[in-house]
Amino acid sequence: MADDSGVLEAFLTLSATLTGYSRFRLLGTGQAEPYLATTLDAVGDDALGELLSASTAVHDEAAGDERALDQGLRARILSDDKLGPVARNVIKMWFVGTWYQLPQEWRDAHASRQPDSTHVVSPASYTEGLLWPTIGANPPGAKGQGYGTWSSPPTLDLP
Amino acid sequence: MTLRRIATVEDLHSYLHIAMQLEHATIPPYLTALYSMHPTTNADAYRVIRVVVVEEMLHLTLAANLLNAVGGTPDLSSEGFVPTYPAHLPDGETDFEVGTRAFSRETIETFLKIERPAVAEGETRFVSRERSSRALLPAVDAHEDDLHFYSIGEFYAEIGEGIRRLHEEMGDALFCGDPARQVGPEYYYSGGGAIVKVTDGASAAEAMRTISEQGEGLGGAIFDEEGELAHYYRFQQLLLGRYYQPGDQGGSPTGPPLDIDWDAVYPVKADAQLGDYAEPGELHDAIHAYSATYGEFLARLDEAFSGRPDLLMPAVGDMFRIKELATQIIRNPMPGQPGVNAAPVFRGLAPVEVS
Repeated sequence: MADDSGVLEAFLTLSATLTGYSRFRLLGTGQAEPYLATTLDAVGDDALGELLSASTAVHDEAAGDERALDQGLRARILSDDKLGPVARNVIKMWFVGTWYQLPQEWRDAHASRQPDSTHVVSPASYTEGLLWPTIGANPPGAKGQGYGTWSSPPTLDLP
Repeated sequence: MTLRRIATVEDLHSYLHIAMQLEHATIPPYLTALYSMHPTTNADAYRVIRVVVVEEMLHLTLAANLLNAVGGTPDLSSEGFVPTYPAHLPDGETDFEVGTRAFSRETIETFLKIERPAVAEGETRFVSRERSSRALLPAVDAHEDDLHFYSIGEFYAEIGEGIRRLHEEMGDALFCGDPARQVGPEYYYSGGGAIVKVTDGASAAEAMRTISEQGEGLGGAIFDEEGELAHYYRFQQLLLGRYYQPGDQGGSPTGPPLDIDWDAVYPVKADAQLGDYAEPGELHDAIHAYSATYGEFLARLDEAFSGRPDLLMPAVGDMFRIKELATQIIRNPMPGQPGVNAAPVFRGLAPVEVS
């Protein structure tokens, strides 16, 4: 794999495509590095490297063509036995802040390390979940703070 | 022109306008340092700075109450109310500049200068005997301001004396402001001290005491009358790595250690200006949206301090919103500047458009 910043860049590019949120919004959560570290920790260098290489190739080949990108992602990543479950996990992590344990079949076939476990990445990852702006609400008790603000409509950036 | 003491109600209004400008001027630097910390790190330092910022907001409100009490009109939306950082403090301390910078030892050193204790009782507060005739104008340019107080405490001591002198001369006619414009204690929480409605000499003195003691302590004591640690010593804890506890002398805290990770900080651009974000894109848009939101927020405060204190409740919600926007900006890199992150720009309404 490339150097650390190259890996983060590739992870952000993939994440932006998978979630539909811009790099600016993804970085704005402060969770890009922890999510990359969590993914690496759960699946190992090999699977993460393969995922990011496939993503980079798909993005390069699509060259800005949305349809080609969509098809490439589905064909080369989301329907791939090894990369698909990891990509879906990355999506879920961005939206709810939790890493879900990979399916048993995946672990039987591809795990190179101790079983990963379901866990909330950090207290911040819960409040920074993309779930909240997507549904037009604030994470209860964590954003939209201030006495009595529950009585006003949430003010937030929609995607 | 010889520096004169507060001699008229107009002088007092000018001083109190500057007091509001001064209290506000500390907030963008404190917030930038606060929000530059990585999420879920530096909990101790975060708490220390957060409480100080909240109390600066209390001081801003107390200054507004004082100004309203003596018949003045707060104006947070005027040109120049928000300084362009780096700037000298509006009270005329010219030996250091404050800026909007990342949390670091150097930044905390500056915060210590902002909150430094007054030198002494008496005449020494006037470091220079000369000042420009414009120095007391409310919208004074912070760079050209020529008032020379050694510290915020000295500046407020002059206001306190001015109020006493004018009160002796004029009697209760000094407090001619509409009481409905006073903000009451129910609008403040999550910090030390309390909002005092200013309607007479005693309540004015009480408001002044809160501002001075919370800032730099009183007469060399590190705790104030309520047992609350003065801002100067709160910040000093961050450099010394240890909390103060009751009975401690200044400079020698003996409480529990403070855990600080000076590296868990986004390296935000120091003293960022709108012109630093010329490149079109989401960051540019976010910076301008932030500046506009901040300006609208100040306009809301203006209204709140002009007879609509109830607007302060939704204004607290706005503050959390401002925090959200600021942290989102700070976590993004500056394009083309490796190792530098973006930082919000605190202007006000109608920021100068960058072409």
